[in-house]
Amino acid sequence: METIFVLLPLALLIAAIAVGFFVWAARTGQFDDLDTPAVRMLFDEEPGIGIRDSGFGNRDSIPNPERRVSE
Amino acid sequence: MKGRFLPHPGSARRGREALAQAPGREGSVEARSCRCAHCGLPVPARLLREGGERQFCCSGCRQVHTLVHEWGFDQYYRIAGQQDAALGPAKVTGRSFDDFDDERVRAEATDPAGPGRLRTRLYLEGVHCAACVWLVEKLPAVLNGVDEVRLNAGTGVAEVTWRPDRTRLSAIGRALDRLGYTPHVHRASRAQEARRAEDRAGLARVGVASACAMNLMFLHGAIYAGEHSGMDSPYETFLRWLSFGVALPVILYSARPFYQTAVAGLRAGMVHIDLPIAVALTVTFAASAVNTVRGSGALWFDSLAMLVAALLGARQLQRASQRSALERADSLRGVAFLEFARRLEGGLPDAPAVEVPLAALVPGDRVEIRSGELVPVDGVVLSGRSSLDNAVLTGEAAALPVKEGDAVYAGATNLGARLVVRVEAAGVTTRVGTLLAIVQEALARKPVLLQTTDRLVRRFVQAVLVLAVITGAAWLPKGPEVAIERLIALLVVACPCALGLSIPLAVSIALMRAARAGIFVKDPDALERMRQAETLLVDKTGTITEGRPAVVRWQGEDLALDLARTLEAESAHAVARAFQRSFGRPLRLVRTVETVTEVPGRGIGGRLDGHDVRVGTRAYVAGGGAAVPESLAAAAADAVLEDLSPVFVAVDGTVRGVAAIGDRVRADAQETLTSLRARGVRVRILSGDHPGLVSRVARELGVPEDAAHGGLTPEQKLDLVSALVGERGGPQQGPSKGGRPLRRPSVVMVGDGVNDAAALALADVGIAVHGGTGATIAAADIVLTREGISPLLEILEGARSLRGVIRRNLGFSLIYNAVACMLAVAGAITPLAAAILMPCSSLVVILSSALSPTFGKAASTKASAASGVA
Repeated sequence: METIFVLLPLALLIAAIAVGFFVWAARTGQFDDLDTPAVRMLFDEEPGIGIRDSGFGNRDSIPNPERRVSE
Repeated sequence: MKGRFLPHPGSARRGREALAQAPGREGSVEARSCRCAHCGLPVPARLLREGGERQFCCSGCRQVHTLVHEWGFDQYYRIAGQQDAALGPAKVTGRSFDDFDDERVRAEATDPAGPGRLRTRLYLEGVHCAACVWLVEKLPAVLNGVDEVRLNAGTGVAEVTWRPDRTRLSAIGRALDRLGYTPHVHRASRAQEARRAEDRAGLARVGVASACAMNLMFLHGAIYAGEHSGMDSPYETFLRWLSFGVALPVILYSARPFYQTAVAGLRAGMVHIDLPIAVALTVTFAASAVNTVRGSGALWFDSLAMLVAALLGARQLQRASQRSALERADSLRGVAFLEFARRLEGGLPDAPAVEVPLAALVPGDRVEIRSGELVPVDGVVLSGRSSLDNAVLTGEAAALPVKEGDAVYAGATNLGARLVVRVEAAGVTTRVGTLLAIVQEALARKPVLLQTTDRLVRRFVQAVLVLAVITGAAWLPKGPEVAIERLIALLVVACPCALGLSIPLAVSIALMRAARAGIFVKDPDALERMRQAETLLVDKTGTITEGRPAVVRWQGEDLALDLARTLEAESAHAVARAFQRSFGRPLRLVRTVETVTEVPGRGIGGRLDGHDVRVGTRAYVAGGGAAVPESLAAAAADAVLEDLSPVFVAVDGTVRGVAAIGDRVRADAQETLTSLRARGVRVRILSGDHPGLVSRVARELGVPEDAAHGGLTPEQKLDLVSALVGERGGPQQGPSKGGRPLRRPSVVMVGDGVNDAAALALADVGIAVHGGTGATIAAADIVLTREGISPLLEILEGARSLRGVIRRNLGFSLIYNAVACMLAVAGAITPLAAAILMPCSSLVVILSSALSPTFGKAASTKASAASGVA
């Protein structure tokens, strides 16, 4: 029976580690949005989707109807 | 590849122009049912393109679809197809979003995110389903310099991580806009961050308390069992010390909020509901700790931890439901009322326009205001003629014509053609800015309430404390040790659990259900004040009425109406929009539409199915040689008398019908106001519109003439509300120190415009109706996201039934307490009995709250609410 002097603290230590992880997860905001991840996981990843550079990020080629002022 | 997949919005020929200019083509397009390839809505016949593989209902959908396809994101439609959510027509503004690059704007929602990266929060309009999440989060695949996008589907807020050396925020803004999600810099995000941090800490506390409570139950279970069957003392001592160790984090970390609010309450001279809880926790823990050290006597650690876990859990739930209401309101408010102006660079009339933030404008700058846009500044018209809708500002529904030299004010909507305006004032110095300052001031004047000021609760708390003292005193003759033990038994088992649970649970479930019904309650105490509503002040334009012109009446032939509707579908004019709004998309009874011509300010004409159709003013249709039959002329005259604008429809040279156009009274207004009056609420109408019109609407709704006030400025509205609020609850009546006096009938204000905002903030309950401006949403206690004013009735009913539920819960707690008190006094409550009794009482409160019919009777809510707590 003396074994509970070791096992009980050990069990509590493991529980404490789990609680520690939960506190960490809560504090880093992993429970902030409970809706979106539920739908996000359903998306199938299709490799090669899209094109890496649409030219949209490049200032000169941004189709900008309003602005034609050179910088 | 520039411009290939993104047609210039100005040059994008609308489908109807193309068709109208190609007569004969339409005849061959079958009037068959066809769905938009982007949003799935039916495509109007005139927009059907022959031979086109894909058809679109509007240019927005066409643009978005082209871009989605071009970027290889066709999977979007597969995902969207699996969702039930109905897509609306896509909206593409075609803005340049140059103002996003301005440091002042960007900094409001941007934080550093690692070396060379920034994280910006953008609120996206038009997020409706999982497919949107997929599409928006695919942005890094096509945008150079964008590392990651995370979209919250619930709030519509996207966190974009990007590199300022590789791209600009304006480019990201444009890409999102072209995908149909109009982005706004999320200004409210700072306040949300603070709330969120609180939430995260709360969740961590609940987690720690729950974990400790469960472990303590095991440990105590062993101790109870040991007491029964006999246990060697080293084991028992060991278990006791372990329990003590596990209880420490509960009392030191999880329970901290109870002490904080109890102390804050005492400082404010109030008995807060947390006070008995804090007292119970302290006494219980101290006694149990002493017993641990002594090695004998009862331990209450498990009850204590359970208590903390249950109470914190219930509060976390309430906070979560309240936060979702606040976030929803913040998101709506995050769309700033006025965001940017198109400043003309250089002195030429056709100078290029650059979008700049309002803060960058100085008096003397010239800004351009396009059709349908908001006027961003106070100023004087330099060129252009148009009409403005000032309803948001003044409450007047009528369109106001403007020309060169006229003054215009920020907040008005440009209904007609492009205007160029010289800036006189921008930002806080504008008239609307001054109004917003009044709102701030009114909000500051509103007394800050401590969370629960309900008299019932206060009495309850006092009763329990008195009971505890009596119990302690009754057992004192038997020795202090026994007295303390009985006292603890009472405090742990009796008072706090049911008390602490009954209110937050009932409130959080009510808030969740209300939110599902499109009613977002920012301040739960507002429900309590709403229950006591005596006077209901409603704004007219946009609240009782729809706030936009619509066809109020039609007199004439059905064929003429079909033709007129089809013809008006070709225009974007205010009258045309009124037709579209009132009747929806035209039925496809008319096959061909040719040679459409629009005469600004007069009307529109065209050849439809071989008929010569003209819709417009009397002069316009008479110009086409049309005679007006007497009955229709009389109808038109009646319309004018009622302040409506008559629009004549002539077919082949004869007037066949008259549409009366005006601001229509909402369909649910009459019934709602009558029901409210039947429940003893005095209804008064406040409006900035001219008194004649206001009293006509009042008559129509059965509101007495003397309760209809027209021609009010925002300041007068504010004075009226403050007079009503002051008249009822003078300080002489107010016994409470922390809040306003409670037992007085309250004043409820309902409105939508900036001109109502200050009055909303000052009233006991401010309610912003659907479509309200940012200032109104900020000022209101309750925000409606559902069209119409029928939710007002639901709020009143919901508030009343919530009161009933709280009463029931407290009543049960009282009975439970009385029994528990007797048991405690009799000395029958052992730690084991407490461990069994406590969860049972909580369960009853949970069931009572979850099964209550507050705010609708959605069965699913019950289930989710119950499972969320259990």
